[in-house]
Amino acid sequence: MISLRHISKRFGPALVLDDVSLDVRPGERLGLVGENGAGKSSLMNVLYGLYQPDRGEVAFDGQVVKLATPQAALARGVGMVHQHFTLVPNLSVAENVALGSEPTRRGLFDLEAAVALVNATSQKLGFQLDPRARVDSLTVGSQQKVEIVKALKGGATTLILDEPTAVLTPQEVDELYAVTRALSQAGCAVVLITHKLGEVLAFATRIAVMRRGQKVAEVDPASTTPAQLAELMVGEQPPPSSAQSAPLEPGAVVLSLDQVAAAGLKPVTFSVRAGEILGIAGIDGNGQRELAEVLTGLRPHTLGRLSFEGAPQPHLTPAHARALGIGHIPEDRLRRALVGDLSVEENVALGRQTQAPFAKGPFIDFAGRRRRAVAVLGLNDVRPAEPTVRAAGLSGGNQQKLVVGRELDARPTLLVVVQPTRGLDISAVAAVRQRLKAEAARGCAVVLISLDLDEVTALSDRVLVMYQSALNGQFPRPPFDARELGRHMLGAVRV
Amino acid sequence: MSESPLRRALPSILSVLSALLLCFVAAALTLQSVGQAAEAFVAMVWGAFGDWPRFIETGVVAALTRPLGEAGTKAALLTLTGLSVAVAFRVGLFNIGAQGQLMVGAISAAVVGTRLSLPAPLHVTVCLLAAAMGGGLYALLPAVLKLRRGVHEVISTIMLNWVAVSLVENWLVVGPLKATASGDNSISGTAQIQGTAELPRLLGDLSRLNLGFLLAVAAALSTAFFLQRTTRGFEWRAVGLQPEAARTAGIAVGRRVTEAMLVSGALAGLAGAVLVMGTEFKYPATIASPYGFDGIAIALIGQGHPLGVLATALVFGGLRAGGTRMQLFGVHKSFPELIQGVALLLVAARLMWQRLLTRRAAR
Repeated sequence: MISLRHISKRFGPALVLDDVSLDVRPGERLGLVGENGAGKSSLMNVLYGLYQPDRGEVAFDGQVVKLATPQAALARGVGMVHQHFTLVPNLSVAENVALGSEPTRRGLFDLEAAVALVNATSQKLGFQLDPRARVDSLTVGSQQKVEIVKALKGGATTLILDEPTAVLTPQEVDELYAVTRALSQAGCAVVLITHKLGEVLAFATRIAVMRRGQKVAEVDPASTTPAQLAELMVGEQPPPSSAQSAPLEPGAVVLSLDQVAAAGLKPVTFSVRAGEILGIAGIDGNGQRELAEVLTGLRPHTLGRLSFEGAPQPHLTPAHARALGIGHIPEDRLRRALVGDLSVEENVALGRQTQAPFAKGPFIDFAGRRRRAVAVLGLNDVRPAEPTVRAAGLSGGNQQKLVVGRELDARPTLLVVVQPTRGLDISAVAAVRQRLKAEAARGCAVVLISLDLDEVTALSDRVLVMYQSALNGQFPRPPFDARELGRHMLGAVRV
Repeated sequence: MSESPLRRALPSILSVLSALLLCFVAAALTLQSVGQAAEAFVAMVWGAFGDWPRFIETGVVAALTRPLGEAGTKAALLTLTGLSVAVAFRVGLFNIGAQGQLMVGAISAAVVGTRLSLPAPLHVTVCLLAAAMGGGLYALLPAVLKLRRGVHEVISTIMLNWVAVSLVENWLVVGPLKATASGDNSISGTAQIQGTAELPRLLGDLSRLNLGFLLAVAAALSTAFFLQRTTRGFEWRAVGLQPEAARTAGIAVGRRVTEAMLVSGALAGLAGAVLVMGTEFKYPATIASPYGFDGIAIALIGQGHPLGVLATALVFGGLRAGGTRMQLFGVHKSFPELIQGVALLLVAARLMWQRLLTRRAAR
């Protein structure tokens, strides 16, 4: 048994862990839930040897151990699968698994030994993995299996999974839980960090709830409802996030694509109307990114006819798209949406930097920009509401609220949204979704591209599925059947 | 962004001071005398910022203005090439080609200065414009190569430096533009520019300080104003910090990069003009000092900020001017360049400063 005792950890002024004690018992499936920044990942990083606690201790079977590095944790049988994979895409599965503790023969890397290690471990887990396949040729689900094999290769007895299902299809989620359930039955302790309340209630044998760096409760999943769990996490009843809106009154067609194709996108035909949220579901890498880039002018379309409000747009550029009223909430906040080293107010101006109130002639209108930035920050509850801090200094949720706020402040006619709530906590997710719904109600046409199937089904008025860079199925109205969507996403059903 | 300017400049200031200290230790060790090293350093300081003891003793104003004038003249060149590199930095390009652009600018100024006959203010203006255009167009080449063909600017600008050497110094200056010998004297370099094209001296006979100094200061101030206060400058900064986000925001990244390279080359070209019109009065056989490469060090120590560049150039322009006087004490005149190099190394070790400073702040 592992005991975390009275762990405290401070980063600068922020107390991320405040006297947290938690036991992890062999063979149990421990769910660790809480909002972003509640401290659950930090706590597990302490157990994994990545963070050194300021106070408190870690004991293995009653014996206090100092975990200075992940290697020390691995030696104690603790393996971790991080939310963002830590694989080298152009290396093979075996090379990735071996990385960090490469088997050698006469001083040289022994690939055969690494292959054998992968085969042995994946056989034990019941995985089908080709040890010689390059990681970038694998699906996200298979890449996660590689991560699990990597975490368990040394015979780990404790497996930590950080948000493992965020990018998986329902079928892959089922498979993951089947495997981890088998692991725990074989005596391995599994710790699952997640936001997804339904999953944790179905999977865990015990649930620890964290809020603002403290462990606020330990509950038995058998006698707990999702609402109770959410209340414990947030500290109050969360706002209803997926209340069905009134039946849609279709507006005018805002955007229509007629056999539009581009590099990485096969010909697609569809249209979006004002006031409608069109969801695009699909597994990562099936042309969604390319589609979003075509709609926002970042990627030129090479074939077909793209029309905006009835006018054909043969050469759409990002500047042109903005001028037409196409807003864009890109997937990659710090690469595409924000310039991290510019201040928050400069980022509010980004994209409209030459227009009032951000500019006066060729000069920056500092006063006008400040006023508008403060308004955007306030309206979208961006914290800290301080226009001069660097955008990169905001938390992920606040960065996203900033991006959403900026794009909606321009009052777009069409909004192209990609993965809007990835990595956000419950209240930020609810806030972002609320804003999108309100925007559609105002009459904006919204194209919502997300890998999170729950998000697509909760928000969309209509869903299209993408598979292998083309459309594969249309679901015209809610309620949407997640399993049926999953079959289309996996290509089991072809349209 | 909310950091105070002083705090941002602190790593550079500390680097320069430590470099001075380290080089002092090195000088003391090699001279095997702390006293002699101290005398050499004092001589350098008087040579850089005015010989105050002599002025107080004798009342000769030139004791102040001569060294300060030399310092200002060198600082002007370093400011312009430093700005050239810094401007390219701001859009994310590493322009190693300031030296080549400076040569093209210098030869343009020399040609217009010799061949045209115009009234003085106009002639000076036309020469400066010609040099800026020459340098700018020469910097356009790597920009176009990068945008059209994906050639990395570091490679192309380095190669274009050598093209400039061959073109200007190995051909034009010894060939078509060679000065005709008068009498028995063989002359190297191009013919003298006309008097109307010379940059006027600011203090008459008291020092060699010329209009180029004011030009450099004005260039630094206007670059700072442009980057911080105009929407176009904002776009440049966004492009330099995160080109993908800039493109997504509808900024024409390629166009902004091209503009910045034009300006970068024009600034280096102006440095060439100031050299020709302010001190040499012709294109010499070779441009002995690598002001273009110094610009890289100045830009880095100045942290890419125009005012930081100006301050750095003033310090090192001064030390350069004072360096000549160190020879009297057995120290080679290139010693200030050593100080500059060490300071650059220390600035590059930015992480070290950041760690030291944050640890102090944490205490």
